[in-house]
Amino acid sequence: MPAVSKGDGMRGLAVFISDIRNCKSKEAEIKRINKELANIRSKFKGDKALDGYSKKKYVCKLLFIFLLGHDIDFGHMEAVNLLSSNKYTEKQIGYLFISVLVNSTSELIRLINNGVKNDLTSRNPTFMCLALHCIANVGSREMGEAFAADIPRILVAGDSMDSVKQSAALCLLRLYKASPDLVPMGEWTARVVHLLNDQHMGVVTAAVSLITCLCKKNPEDFKTCVSLAVSRLSRIVSSASTDLQDYTYYFVPAPWLSVKLLRLLQCYAPPEDAAVKGRLVECLETVLNKAQEPPKSKKVQHSNAKNAVLFETISLIIHYDSEPNLLVRACNQLGQFLQHRETNLRYLALESMCTLASSEFSHEAVKTHIDTVINALKTERDVSVRQRAADLLYAMCDRSNAKQIVSEMLRYLETADYAIREEIVLKVAILAEKYAVDYSWYVDTILNLIRIAGDYVSEEVWYRVLQIVTNRDDVQGYAAKTVFEALQAPACHENMVKVGGYILGEFGNLIAGDPRSSPPVQFSLLHSKFHLCSVATRALLLSTYIKFINLFPETKATIQAVLRAGSQLRNADVELQQRAVEYLTLSSIASTDVLATVLEEMPPFPERESSILAKLKRKKGPGAASTLDDGRREPGPGGDVNGGVEPAPSAGSTPSPSADLLGLRAAPPPAAPPAPPSAGSLLVDVFSDSLGPSPEEAFLSELEPPAPESPRALLADQAPAADPAAEDPGIPIPEADGLLNKFVCKNNGVLFENALLQIGVKSEFRQNLGRMYLFYGNKTSVQFQNFCATVTHPGDLQTQLVVQTKQVPGQVDGGAQVQQVLNIECLRDFLMPPLLTVRFRYGGTPQAFTLKLPVTINKFFQPTEMAAQDFFQRWKQLSLPQQEAQKIFQANHPMDSEVTKAKLLGFGSALLDNVDPNPENYVGAGIVQTKALQVGCLLRLEPNAQAQMYRLTLRTSKESVSRHLCELLAEQF
Amino acid sequence: MIGGLFIYNHKGEVLISRVYRDDIGNRRNAVDAFRVNVIHARQQVRSPVTNIARTSFFHVKRSNIWLAAVTKQNVNAAMVFEFLYKMCDVMAAYFGKISEENIKNNFVLIYELLDEILDFGYPQNSETGALKTFITQQGIKSQHQTKEEQSQITSQVTGQIGWRREGIKYRRNELFLDVLESVNLLMSPQGQVLSAHVSGRVVMKSYLSGMPECKFGMNDKIVIEKQGKGTADETGKSGKQSIAIDDCTFHQCVRLSKFDSERSISFIPPDGEFELMRYRTTKDIILPFRVIPLVREVGRTKLEVKVVIKSNFKPSLLAQKIEVRIPTPLNTSGVQVICMKGKAKYKASENAIVWKIKRMAGMKESQISAEIELLPTNDKKKWARPPISMNFEVPFAPSGLKVRYLKVFEPKLNYSDHDVIKWVRYIGRSGIYETRC
Repeated sequence: MPAVSKGDGMRGLAVFISDIRNCKSKEAEIKRINKELANIRSKFKGDKALDGYSKKKYVCKLLFIFLLGHDIDFGHMEAVNLLSSNKYTEKQIGYLFISVLVNSTSELIRLINNGVKNDLTSRNPTFMCLALHCIANVGSREMGEAFAADIPRILVAGDSMDSVKQSAALCLLRLYKASPDLVPMGEWTARVVHLLNDQHMGVVTAAVSLITCLCKKNPEDFKTCVSLAVSRLSRIVSSASTDLQDYTYYFVPAPWLSVKLLRLLQCYAPPEDAAVKGRLVECLETVLNKAQEPPKSKKVQHSNAKNAVLFETISLIIHYDSEPNLLVRACNQLGQFLQHRETNLRYLALESMCTLASSEFSHEAVKTHIDTVINALKTERDVSVRQRAADLLYAMCDRSNAKQIVSEMLRYLETADYAIREEIVLKVAILAEKYAVDYSWYVDTILNLIRIAGDYVSEEVWYRVLQIVTNRDDVQGYAAKTVFEALQAPACHENMVKVGGYILGEFGNLIAGDPRSSPPVQFSLLHSKFHLCSVATRALLLSTYIKFINLFPETKATIQAVLRAGSQLRNADVELQQRAVEYLTLSSIASTDVLATVLEEMPPFPERESSILAKLKRKKGPGAASTLDDGRREPGPGGDVNGGVEPAPSAGSTPSPSADLLGLRAAPPPAAPPAPPSAGSLLVDVFSDSLGPSPEEAFLSELEPPAPESPRALLADQAPAADPAAEDPGIPIPEADGLLNKFVCKNNGVLFENALLQIGVKSEFRQNLGRMYLFYGNKTSVQFQNFCATVTHPGDLQTQLVVQTKQVPGQVDGGAQVQQVLNIECLRDFLMPPLLTVRFRYGGTPQAFTLKLPVTINKFFQPTEMAAQDFFQRWKQLSLPQQEAQKIFQANHPMDSEVTKAKLLGFGSALLDNVDPNPENYVGAGIVQTKALQVGCLLRLEPNAQAQMYRLTLRTSKESVSRHLCELLAEQF
Repeated sequence: MIGGLFIYNHKGEVLISRVYRDDIGNRRNAVDAFRVNVIHARQQVRSPVTNIARTSFFHVKRSNIWLAAVTKQNVNAAMVFEFLYKMCDVMAAYFGKISEENIKNNFVLIYELLDEILDFGYPQNSETGALKTFITQQGIKSQHQTKEEQSQITSQVTGQIGWRREGIKYRRNELFLDVLESVNLLMSPQGQVLSAHVSGRVVMKSYLSGMPECKFGMNDKIVIEKQGKGTADETGKSGKQSIAIDDCTFHQCVRLSKFDSERSISFIPPDGEFELMRYRTTKDIILPFRVIPLVREVGRTKLEVKVVIKSNFKPSLLAQKIEVRIPTPLNTSGVQVICMKGKAKYKASENAIVWKIKRMAGMKESQISAEIELLPTNDKKKWARPPISMNFEVPFAPSGLKVRYLKVFEPKLNYSDHDVIKWVRYIGRSGIYETRC
């Protein structure tokens, strides 16, 4: 109950509140409130004006009723009236009511704004503060619009009181956070920085918060704050605990301000000025020194405040990442905390160490604490701390301690909390792969993993094992043997069956020599698990069986019997049934040679980013990716989280752990896309969704053709499927064909345009050579990042056309245009245009689309002039039916002879006048120039104006060219 | 089958807790579940049946006291509520008003009663008269009871007529019959009846010697028509006065077989007061009052209300305790009332004008007019205009029910029907009697 003091206290309010508190039931309370509301209504209605005191009292009562959960729909006017009072208490209640009850749509907002404005311009500091608090509390857009311009003025005015400045800074911060666009940047920004020099610590604290927020958007405007912050910080740090009387908290001088200053400094790179830098380093050292001093108080607040400053200092040191000495000292300090009895401290220490571990200077220092961390993983009671310990182990792992860490993690996995099991599984899988010295250890580890925590082993993990085993000849035999042994356990996880089925199907022959694992034994072992598995696994096992038939002809009868069984041939599941039927037929009709070819060992997988790593990152979210990954921290703020996973230059000194992945990367696949700017990194397209095809899919796609008609067809189909160079360029956008047709008869124009990007084309062709300029225009105001444009050759276009592309810059600024030059050489005649794939990140979202490059065979078409006689002679020469292509089609455009002529010329042929007896008809001739051969071409176009139809006839020496040209040209009319 | 029974006070503290079956599990959980989900619920719980975690709670509220029956089984809800009402009646008969204090003072008695009237969750004899013979408030008395008395009680309670003991003697054989009805109405502003029904009960107080056999007769349409077949000329006359009863229930003493076959109500009454029957009618209801409202909104800040009530019964009869409640808008800031009869007052705590008239004869009319001043609000919501409600008491049965006879036969003792003094009284009260405005 509020203290009822004479004069100021409101007796009526106190009585009312105590009445409500004494109510026995809800009904009684509602009755009392109704009575009071009626009373207030009659008072407000009354003709004679209320004095300030009663107004305040009733508004207070209304506020109380509102806070009890009842609707209040009147009294706003009275509250607004209170704003114009001269008494502090009345004004305060008015502001309180408005902050709590007024919503932005209220009609009174203008009146309120007027009252607030009056107070802002008044000379009374308490009134100004009240008004500022109200603006900050409401914080609506309307408020922002009305006052955003005034507040900076108050903030930097020379004559503002300290308390007003403080309130103004915080109010501005609130408005900026609510609607950044409303706060105008201007000359006041420079003066805000100087608030850091203010005498009053409260003002400085408020100003630091504001600057920290503002400088995230405009780092350049506030650059000067660094030196000011450093000097302020050094003054605080070096002060004795008694210097800053009011701002000393349990013997720690101004801990909040220190933390905020350190945070502010983390927005910038290390200061360049040597003096400033020296002073800062001195400060940081002082803080680290102070941590070693015995505590001045036993109170928990003292150590909390001290540690807060310390941790913020350490994160600044980590952020700078340039002072080996400090980094090592920080690491040692954290090492002490690892054994502290305070759980929070242990957690924070582990968390900070994770980031320290990624610094090249302190990596070794962190590694010295490995035993403590392992111990924490085992004995820690708090699950979140255990999780941090696991993270740290992952971060500190390198070649030297990988075996120890992996085995510890595996041991921990058996008792780990369910929530983090999957993550630990992924981590173990990655570490095992990354630091595998010999692959038998790797295979052992992963199989162990599946055994211990099979449920948590995701698809990616076992796909990866299979990829690696397939790619490494030396480990295959060992893998087959281990898998075989693992499968002998009475109960094994389904994932184990999957891995086992695949590996035995591929490499079972390597262990078939041993009588204990002879083919029938292998088969019966696998088949014993068959009935316990899900449909997907059974399907995989069926594929294994057919591979067995190829590997071990002696098992053929047994396996055919299994396939023939009713449970397979008439299985309710379509996939299983289809496989059973097809495999059975395949095994019975195909000769052994054909079988051997069809069921050949899987070719090595194209090496690519480990899908597991991508999965772990997705799981953690992009924010955590930089610390989780082995990549070093990016120096300086604003580093692109996604692109900056592994900046190549700094990684030079330590061998990049992911770089030596099986040593397979020596010869990169030929169709690898031109690397984006942060080159040399395997991890670049981690965030694009195109993960490699799983081995399972590849395995199946090899066996894909349904119901084989003849062995020949099988062989023919296999070739493209097994092509490792099949780089997935994406499917061309739907309108690509239409866009392409536009360019058949012209060489320049806009190829593509959407809301973000415009692509213009300018090209020239001579003989079998061409040059094309592509202009990429950024239509937005935001920079495109990771911009890359690549040309791919679908099908066997590679042998027909050579397109050399020049690199485009990785960033395209808003409104800017970049140019790419393409040199084209036509080797042979071709049908499909090459594909152009454009990828970039726009505001964090990846964009990609594929277009058809406007290069068609007619671009290499050279006009030839000839007389009518010659024409007819040649026409007759090309009289074989396959040399002629004819098409009769409806006109899509008006029949205009000038336009038609222009189109035919644009198409590349020469127009021959006076050749055809009918003057309406058009006759043309030309030669298609390719490097390998030249194809002569004659064409005749007969329009029929009445029927609005055309007849187009083309004769060339090559069948495919005739047909293709005919199709291209027919689209144009 | 009731699993348990709890009695709470208004704060949700348990006063009485009796568990009959193990299936409701942890007693504490059930107790807390009801308190949290019903008594302390954020929104008022209006349904008397609440299902929480596959357990059903049936509750009734008497002033500030909550009675809750708990079960896990699919019980007959009507049975449970009947039992709860009976429980309330029994408690009221033993110690008067059901209040927290009374329950605390009589908790031993209540547990004793609960043991008697519920056995393994099945309701047993809940007849107050019978219970009072062996559960007494003066516990000492039972020690002085003789063996014979005890065996007599046993034979009576377990016998065929459990509700009446033998050997009752009165010098003056007397009986009182009360017909209590409550009439419910919802009427449109234009005077159209939207819904109306009467729920009534016949309460009997008997002071009769021996084991009398009674027969009760009233103007039930079916009975009258049956008789009317015999004497054709009477049909026209009595047909008007007969009433159609929609449904009725009887006290356990009534022989239902006889009612089913002959539709005659015959019984051996318990001693003292009991409710003989309950019934409901919906046709040909005499509405004792007609309310004619007139509401005019004058601008945004003023409202004029005029209400006329007309009494619609014989001028010789007097209605009593008349109260008209006229709701006012939520932004009322002042009210002026003028009424010709009775007293009217604006009750701010209930947001209504309450107009009270002590007495009013039939075929009269009276009117009230009020000026309500409103405070302009920035709320655009329109006033919902809740209906005007009315309370009254009239000395006749609005359903038209008439007691035709109540015959008493006592073959063993020598008093005849004529020697019994009989009193009949009709009281019609308002239930929810509302008129929209």
